[in-house]
Amino acid sequence: MKLSRRSFFKATGLAAAASLSGGTVLGGLAPQACAAVAAPEWESHFSACDMCFNKCGLVARVQQGRVVKLDPNPKFSKSRGMLCARGNAGVAQLYDPDRLKYPLLRAGKRGEGKWKRIPWDEALAMTAEKMQEIRTKYTPCGYLFSAGADMQSAFVSRFAEVFGSFNVTSHESLCLISNNRAYLDTFGEVPFADVINSKYVLMVGANRFEALVTPDSMDLMTAMREKGCKLVVLDPRYTKTAALADEWHPIRPGTDMAFMLAVINVIISEKLYDAEWMAEKTFGLDQLAGHVSQYTPAWAAAECGIPADDIVRIAREMAAAAPQSMIYPGRRTSDYEDSTQIRRSFAIANALLANWDRPGGLLAARAVGLKGVPYDPPWYDDNPPDRVDAGLVPMMFEHEGSFVLTRDAVLKGEPYPLKGWFVYKTNPMATAPNRAKTIAMAEQMDFSVVVDIAMTDTAHMADLVLPAPSYLERLDPASGLQGSSACACVVVRDPVVNALYESRPVFDILKDVAGRLDLGEYFDFTIEEYRTRQFAELPDAMEALRRDGVYYNPSKVYGLYEGKAHKTLSQKIELFNQRYADMGLDPMPVYTAPAKVPNNQFRLVVGRNAYFTHGSTQNNALLHELMPENTLWLHPDAAQTLGIADGELVEVASSVGRGELKASLTKGIRTDTVYMLTGFGAISPGLTRIHNVGASISALLDDKVDAISGNAALHTTFVTVTRKVAS
Amino acid sequence: MRKAQYAMVIDSAKCIDCKACVVSCKVANGTPEGFSRNWIKASEPDFAAGAKPRTHFQPGACMHCEAPTCVDACPTGATYKNADGIVMIDETLCIGCGNCIPACPYGARFRNPQKRTADKCNYCPERRAAGLLPACVDTCPTKARVFGDIMNPESDAARLLEQHKDHVVQVINQKSNTAPHMYYLASTAPVGWTHEAVMPASMATMTGVVDPVVKTLVGLSGLGVLVMLGRQLLSGHDSSHDSSHDSGPDVHTGSDVQAGQAHKQQTDKE
Repeated sequence: MKLSRRSFFKATGLAAAASLSGGTVLGGLAPQACAAVAAPEWESHFSACDMCFNKCGLVARVQQGRVVKLDPNPKFSKSRGMLCARGNAGVAQLYDPDRLKYPLLRAGKRGEGKWKRIPWDEALAMTAEKMQEIRTKYTPCGYLFSAGADMQSAFVSRFAEVFGSFNVTSHESLCLISNNRAYLDTFGEVPFADVINSKYVLMVGANRFEALVTPDSMDLMTAMREKGCKLVVLDPRYTKTAALADEWHPIRPGTDMAFMLAVINVIISEKLYDAEWMAEKTFGLDQLAGHVSQYTPAWAAAECGIPADDIVRIAREMAAAAPQSMIYPGRRTSDYEDSTQIRRSFAIANALLANWDRPGGLLAARAVGLKGVPYDPPWYDDNPPDRVDAGLVPMMFEHEGSFVLTRDAVLKGEPYPLKGWFVYKTNPMATAPNRAKTIAMAEQMDFSVVVDIAMTDTAHMADLVLPAPSYLERLDPASGLQGSSACACVVVRDPVVNALYESRPVFDILKDVAGRLDLGEYFDFTIEEYRTRQFAELPDAMEALRRDGVYYNPSKVYGLYEGKAHKTLSQKIELFNQRYADMGLDPMPVYTAPAKVPNNQFRLVVGRNAYFTHGSTQNNALLHELMPENTLWLHPDAAQTLGIADGELVEVASSVGRGELKASLTKGIRTDTVYMLTGFGAISPGLTRIHNVGASISALLDDKVDAISGNAALHTTFVTVTRKVAS
Repeated sequence: MRKAQYAMVIDSAKCIDCKACVVSCKVANGTPEGFSRNWIKASEPDFAAGAKPRTHFQPGACMHCEAPTCVDACPTGATYKNADGIVMIDETLCIGCGNCIPACPYGARFRNPQKRTADKCNYCPERRAAGLLPACVDTCPTKARVFGDIMNPESDAARLLEQHKDHVVQVINQKSNTAPHMYYLASTAPVGWTHEAVMPASMATMTGVVDPVVKTLVGLSGLGVLVMLGRQLLSGHDSSHDSSHDSGPDVHTGSDVQAGQAHKQQTDKE
């Protein structure tokens, strides 16, 4: 390569300058002088990350009032002292030009994207007035409240309750409640997986090396690489977890229960369980033995596509490693209409490994020590008796509800009308299946207000949009966390920089509106005062938080259930669930084969990677650079039949919607299945990087629910895939 | 004399390809959109291999080589190997000519469009001055990257190297063995992604030559090289390339991975 003329002149200019100024410049040329780099002049502040739900401890480096870097808090053991790509990209969220800057009132048709800037006082007065109107006309339950996972979300629930509405939905019914239901109805509580001490992890319907959960994701690698733990992954898709596993089996979607019932069959028929432990701790082993005798490995192999020999071998290997082996419980289990029963089969298999409350197994919740801040909500005589989705499924979580079933109720106007919607930091337009219905739901509202940091698709459909500060600008209440065997701890958030623009925290918004609605007495505190009450029984916590950015409660890890009853009817681990039997539900999981994939169609499965949280970080400049669009994973054999080449634009269509995106041909997906990543194909022009980029899962997925918990069922959709002809 | 040799010892089998190191580096160094000082490469899974297609993820960045071809290629001496063994870019001397970019067999360099200079990993000197680890190392969820002075036997990196001395590999290009100071434990993949160092025409004859006097004479044909010569005379120690070229050809293993004893030969002679 030659020097260009321009570069040559630059070079000679530089040399001339060097010859002119003698010693100084020559001194400056010495490598030693260049090596003497000064430390940055930054201040360091502890906080807790909010780019996903893990709340990892971080240290914010602040220079001249600006956050210049986010680093992991090395003392934060729940995250094993790490900060992931999203955590590092928090800076780009804080300074994103796409952030909402001031209150915006809808100025065109709903969803048209026309807005008028209004002052805060007008926005708050309007919110209070409209809420009161709807409450008067439709009862307090006529107003729906939806809040995402956030350290201030408890204030939204508090407001809803004192306002008088039972109708609160959270993100959970689009995520993990079927798994929670299954473990509650087996062990009496939802366990934490002691991955780091496990010798054998069977991961089914979970993707821990991409969908990061602390400390499980890190601990899984430590256990594998440093302690010889074996990882077996069943997944229709070659995830990064599958890529790093000792074994990957591309199981037929919807047949996990068949595999697990056969595992149970092997462990019982070969008597590979700890009989004494089972007799003492569990209820219903005899019924279970009878029930699973029909579910042989040969039968399961025909259902799930994994050879019988492998099923038998995996069952024996797990039993041999027990109690330091586990079927990893997983989180997003919004998959099928029988997801609670599918996960019950996992929970029961775990019980047979006798891993409950023991190292390398499933751990009970530990004491963190934070106090609640109770209140006595008023009673409203005119209210209907229950939530709008009450009774539609037998085992709903009352405080989470079912977003999908609530939405159906709104659309029908039955059992009673819901005409107002308050949304904080959740984006069902992007995450709930069947987006057309969410749009119709938004259109049903007399008044909807969304509080968020950006113009999400849900905000795009609102009447009033209020700008919230990011987590780095906020004072938040304390939050108790359990990190499996790593820790039980408390984190808080203090602002590391001043709130930008006109943003206001949802607490301030709710407190103001409560005051206007004569509910001020329920918000007669500051967040500092609230925290003080939370810390009533943890006198050392505030000092530890100031010093280390985290407070650890040195509570007991194992053996919490020695002499303690399980919170089930039998007070034991229920292999046979008596309550289910009483309610007419299957007391033990009964296998139903998933619907057959129709000819020329595919089952659509969805999932996560380590860059994106639900629908919330795809528009982040730094993360968007890692993955600017989503693609459709398609097996090359299937693609050949359809005449689709790698990278070509395809149309994907389901019974409820369609989308266009590029195809990625990979043998890392079954021939009968396609996959796409969540969070793209945004309709809001306010998300400038992902507006109309890629396709939206919410547009394509149909809206079935788990029959027991009301959790969304996201893997029941069949799609056609067609090559888009260039026009 | 070399005071130290900072290096990265990587257990690439621990890498989960989460890209935390990539984003952390970008923020720490203000790297412009579309560029990155570090990377994670992925091997091709073998889907014919039953239940074990396996993908190996390989974190990387500038390898701060013992025999850095980028230093050879730099006409102004802006790129040099400092007393800590770190290949640095003096932005006040860099003329943005781009010669160093193809001269790096690992693609670790790029032209920063904002600064109009060459850019690459420098092991975060500002952070180290503040007592912190380089941004990529500090943030890594599985602690796959370990950083330290491998001449200091007390450092984590040196201990790890010593512990695994019989099975450490380096990724090199057979035709341009730069003796990289990036060490992978046991094995790593992919390996076929390096390229032969492309040297600027005026200095092409330099690269294979061992005698520093000859190099200097050839170098004088370019104006900028006068500065490089000046650096070498003034700084009182050899900061670039002579020390290890002789060890290169002996350690090729026939692939792009160089195993085991190689690094030992190179570091022992410091």
